[in-house]
Amino acid sequence: MTLAWIPRGLRSGRVTTRYPARPEPPPDGYRGPVELLDPAGAPAEVILVCPTGAIGLEPGGSLTLDRGRCIGCGECVRAAPGVFAFARRYETAARSRRELIEPAKSAAPDVEDVWRSLGVQARALRRSLHIRHIDAGSDGAEEWEIQALWNPYYDIQRLGFFLTSSPRHADILIVTGGVTEPMREPLELTWRVMPAPKALIAAGTDACSGGLSAITGLTAGGVDHVLPVDVYVPGSPPAPIALLDGLLQAVGLLGAGATA
Amino acid sequence: MSTSGRQDDPRGLLPAHIHAEHEHGPDGEIRLRVDLLGFERATRMLRDAGARFITMFLAGRPEPSLVCVLALRGALIVLRAPTGPSDPIVYGSIGGGWPAARWAEQELVERANVRPIGLAPAHSLTAPNADRLERTLSGLDVFSIPYGPVRSGIFEAIQFMIETGGEDVPRLQTRPFFKHRGMEARFVGLDVNTAVHVAERVAGIASVAYACAFCQAVERALGAQPPASGERWRAVHAELERIACHLDVIAKEAETTALFVGQARFQILKETIMRVRCALTGSRFGRGVISPGGVRYPGRIPLDELSEGLERFERDLGRDRRLFLNTASMTDRLIGSGHLPRALVEEWGAVGPVARGSGISVDARHERPYGEYRRLGLRVMTRRDGDAMARINVRFSEISESLRILRQAIDHLARRNGELSVEMPTTTSGAAFGWTEAPQGELLIWVEIDDGLIQQVRIASPSLRNWALFDHAFPKDVLTDFAFIEHSFGLTPAGSDR
Repeated sequence: MTLAWIPRGLRSGRVTTRYPARPEPPPDGYRGPVELLDPAGAPAEVILVCPTGAIGLEPGGSLTLDRGRCIGCGECVRAAPGVFAFARRYETAARSRRELIEPAKSAAPDVEDVWRSLGVQARALRRSLHIRHIDAGSDGAEEWEIQALWNPYYDIQRLGFFLTSSPRHADILIVTGGVTEPMREPLELTWRVMPAPKALIAAGTDACSGGLSAITGLTAGGVDHVLPVDVYVPGSPPAPIALLDGLLQAVGLLGAGATA
Repeated sequence: MSTSGRQDDPRGLLPAHIHAEHEHGPDGEIRLRVDLLGFERATRMLRDAGARFITMFLAGRPEPSLVCVLALRGALIVLRAPTGPSDPIVYGSIGGGWPAARWAEQELVERANVRPIGLAPAHSLTAPNADRLERTLSGLDVFSIPYGPVRSGIFEAIQFMIETGGEDVPRLQTRPFFKHRGMEARFVGLDVNTAVHVAERVAGIASVAYACAFCQAVERALGAQPPASGERWRAVHAELERIACHLDVIAKEAETTALFVGQARFQILKETIMRVRCALTGSRFGRGVISPGGVRYPGRIPLDELSEGLERFERDLGRDRRLFLNTASMTDRLIGSGHLPRALVEEWGAVGPVARGSGISVDARHERPYGEYRRLGLRVMTRRDGDAMARINVRFSEISESLRILRQAIDHLARRNGELSVEMPTTTSGAAFGWTEAPQGELLIWVEIDDGLIQQVRIASPSLRNWALFDHAFPKDVLTDFAFIEHSFGLTPAGSDR
């Protein structure tokens, strides 16, 4: 019967995405990252609807949105529909915590440009990068989305990413969760034994800022309170394409030797 | 589907000398008040009458009390003993003689000032340390393997202390709570509409089950009844979630056998369902749609498109299932592995596919039907073999049953699409339980609301109750069976650790 699987596999045809060479648009109505459309469009009270305190107030009274804290619950979109909206895109990654705060202090890079440069990076990836994952207190959904990267739809081995069980063989560490106390030491140890150059990805809003558990006093309130983070991928949870985008950004870092 | 159990006279449950007072509670809850001294005795008598232990905790409403929750003949028995000013709270241990209660009582001891008389001292459950060995082993032919909390592969953090001589596993100790995030406390002070987002993020892979259980508790506490269409949509999202979770377990079993095409096929099927959920709700995990009073919005794709998608899925699944069950290299690893006799499963109060694989017909959708399941005929899928294969077979059958439920619910929705939710009262108080059958098993959530704000939430997760049994799942198995048996349990540490 084992042989019968072969025609079954062949008949499935190709299901794999061509991302990042081609963009992958989400379906209609996708609840992607929340965007701040109009910083002056709503009264200050709107900051109270956010359960994680992601909406802030500038001294002048205009609003800010910290996507690193946003769990995508949509309370603000419901309260002030013209001011906040779900973006119809998967990608959420940023290289620094500050880049996640809207409105951006500097001009955002052109999306087309980013795609093109990511495409070039992916083609150059013939050197096989090894990924290690550690759960430091996630809600479990992030693990599903990271596992999905190895399913036939996303198949990130085609881009040269492999999973390794040993941190000593790993180039990239993906951390989920806001870092609970019992996980702090195992996390630090895992990072310490990874050889340089290496990159650390904080996957999910919990890893970026602690998310809902930031104020329970039982987590560190984000991975960057424990270790230096190279790429933030907010989302509750981030979709597989968002994680792939984050991985490709981390690869750019490794190529530049930024964390060597 | 007998309903006679729910009409039982609660006074007949306990003899007169226990002095149990019957208190008014929402439908399906039999609330009994006893005093602290008679508490353990009352639970023992209910156990003898066939009750199954669910959880115990300290409640704040209607007054500070020690609460023990049991399931008996289609009803929830809520036994409560006022604690008064006693400090510490001293009572006869329940977990001392009843394995099912051991972890719940141990957690209570470590988190609150309670002193159960007769509970054997145990190693810390809720404050694990990855490097601490609790037992020193001596001898030439046995050693300990601490497996986790950093696992090989992409898995949630949990640790297993495996004692082995290389082949047999004479003793195993599961150590949860590496990822305790304080989610129960996170609910406190939120209004019910915001709090549902917390419920969705307790155990992410069962977001819908947690959101529904929470919302049902709120609705029962405040006396609201969601409209039929709202309940139907909840059932649609919940059954899609169940299918995704079950396929995840099956794909992981295929991966463990290195049956690569099988693994790829079941991953494709799971991703298909995740994409259906994404198109339907805007979220791959069905988040944001369930709310107290019903659902926030209907499905975002036409119903006939949804049914066609599910029909295609069912055809594909049928072929892969046949292949899977006929691949000897796959089934050989599952048949006979991790055998759990029925009596053992009952003693530990396990739930979900783990219990149903050992012939126990426990399913919250059937035992205490809620929402749409009150109107649908549900077939509870059980197997008697009690091994990993039985647990996988239960999941295969449940996927088919879920598809049947989905067809019925979609059919009803197509014929009559009424109101989706009711307005919830905003300044009312109350307390009640809500429950659902999560993909991992029966989930129970206790919610106390004061003036529209959450005062306390307690979660009895299926994962915690089933992990306790995992320590006993290696009667004749060897170390290399570990992954197969673990996947066959299909649990999530996020749910058990909260």
